[in-house]
Amino acid sequence: MFAWKYKTERTLIVFSIVSVLALILVIAPVANTLLSHSPQDLANTAIEPEVYNAIFLSLYAALFTSIAALVLGVPLAFILARKQFAGKSIVESLVDLPLVVPHTVAGIAVLLVWGRTGIFGAPINNIFGVQFYGTVAGIIVAMLFVSFPFMVNSAREGFEGISLDIEQAARTLGASPFEVFRRISLPLAFRGIMVGALLVWARAISEFGAVYIIAYYPMTAPILIANQYLQFGLKASSAIAALLLIITLMVFVLLRFLILKRKAEE
Amino acid sequence: MTSVEVQNAYLKLGEFNLQDINLKVESEEFFVILGPSGAGKTVLLDLIAGFSYPKKGKVLLDGEDVTFLPIEKRRIGYMFQDFALFPNMSVFKNIKFGTRYYKIPNVENRIRELMELLDILQLRDRHPTTLSGGEKQRVALARSLILEPKLLLLDEPLSSLDARTKEVLRDEIKETIENVGITTLYVTHDQVEAIVLADRIGIMRDGRLLQIGSSDQIFNTPRDELIARFVGMENIFKGIVKANDDGLISIDVGDTIIEAVSDIAVGKEVTLGIRPENITLQVGETISSARNIFSGKVKQIIPLGPINKVKIDCGFILTAFITKRSSEFLRLSKGREIKALFKASNVYVIGDNH
Repeated sequence: MFAWKYKTERTLIVFSIVSVLALILVIAPVANTLLSHSPQDLANTAIEPEVYNAIFLSLYAALFTSIAALVLGVPLAFILARKQFAGKSIVESLVDLPLVVPHTVAGIAVLLVWGRTGIFGAPINNIFGVQFYGTVAGIIVAMLFVSFPFMVNSAREGFEGISLDIEQAARTLGASPFEVFRRISLPLAFRGIMVGALLVWARAISEFGAVYIIAYYPMTAPILIANQYLQFGLKASSAIAALLLIITLMVFVLLRFLILKRKAEE
Repeated sequence: MTSVEVQNAYLKLGEFNLQDINLKVESEEFFVILGPSGAGKTVLLDLIAGFSYPKKGKVLLDGEDVTFLPIEKRRIGYMFQDFALFPNMSVFKNIKFGTRYYKIPNVENRIRELMELLDILQLRDRHPTTLSGGEKQRVALARSLILEPKLLLLDEPLSSLDARTKEVLRDEIKETIENVGITTLYVTHDQVEAIVLADRIGIMRDGRLLQIGSSDQIFNTPRDELIARFVGMENIFKGIVKANDDGLISIDVGDTIIEAVSDIAVGKEVTLGIRPENITLQVGETISSARNIFSGKVKQIIPLGPINKVKIDCGFILTAFITKRSSEFLRLSKGREIKALFKASNVYVIGDNH
């Protein structure tokens, strides 16, 4: 009995040591980046037009990406959560596909359809005069491609958490399917949907590869950081990196808060 | 008010088959569908509510074909097993939910009256997650009844409650529904619920409605052995009619002769059922008009609250229900010599609808 207990504890001790090492591997670079710059230093960097333009562009392109993901992803998530149909597993695989495509490949693929001669790009350019190569619109479609799975999967989990009885009860009380969606399903899945939108936003801000292919200019923050690093070295790029890190950490904290709150409610 | 009719309905749902369902529930009738779990009771309710459509057959509300009418156009109230209250709304908003879609004159007053009737006025601003099972049940009932539905469907609404609450709410449901006067279809696997609530009962098993009748008919004259066993006819014997003396028949059941009232011809094979509550026990000298008297020994005594279930070995096994007090009076114990008596008129010849 004692030996068994001792063994378990020994295992636990070894596991704990490995875990601490692993956590240090994560924490050290993040903490180091944040702590190696004084607030003054960061403020000076932040007011450089090149820097704040890039960060601002990242933020709002990611915001539009989130909105687009909401509009396109929520109906799909609802269908996947509620309906059985032939080829559903194929649709599910398609939704997850961007997760496994290398991001530079994703960039090329997106550019091929949204570029000036692409099947989407050409007619949109002809009708609306909107181009995607080297524009904010291009950044958004690239961000959307790589982050879309997060929206669909998270919203789907939200819808799946609602008992079917509740939706059917609403139908028996006179609500049409759309009314049930509006008054019952959407509010009850709201937190899952918000988590999805935030994940999309965070993923979109951090995207480098796909955006790099479709729009090197205007520069988003990750591209500016890479550019500074290549031209002026580590020191020049690390202050911008710290700024972007702070912003993403704030999103991350908000996200954790929402997820923990949802878990607590369940 | 409204009658509901299911005609010749077939429905396949995965591995499950609903077969040849024919049922008419009259206006303001309280109809209970009784059957073991997996019998297809909920599937039948879902068919009437419009959650699923039959492969064949019809659903009629007051003679009007609603088989393929969308759920929200049927005006049928549905009480779910887990009550299905909306967790994102207060009790009041739950009850008010459907009044946006159905014109109810004087809504606010009607809601207050109904909440008073169900004694849930004090729960008005509470959140469904903070309610007890019984409170949820009342709120769900109010939410359906406020819309004055043509028909109320209840799917085992008491199954998730504790025994005490169950009894209180069972009586309350009956009273409320009688007050409101609404056609009701109630699904349960509980015989006591069925007896207490039903005007008529339908026995369901394996996707089929096997017998429809009053609780007296169902419990005393079940159509076949399966139903007899399900409704608690615990003493079942097979035998051959040996004599028929002007309606008093003698049946040889192998170990002994049992007498019953019937005019079945000599030589026929029959199945007999005797309800355990129709068997009386005596000790010592017996003077009785009962035609069937058997001596035996107590084999087992199973306490069931105020009554005991007693198994007696008379060469064959008889099961009797007697009150705890009678048990004590007869000083029943395992192995005690005893006599079991039952009238010939309490022997039911299964399948012989006399």
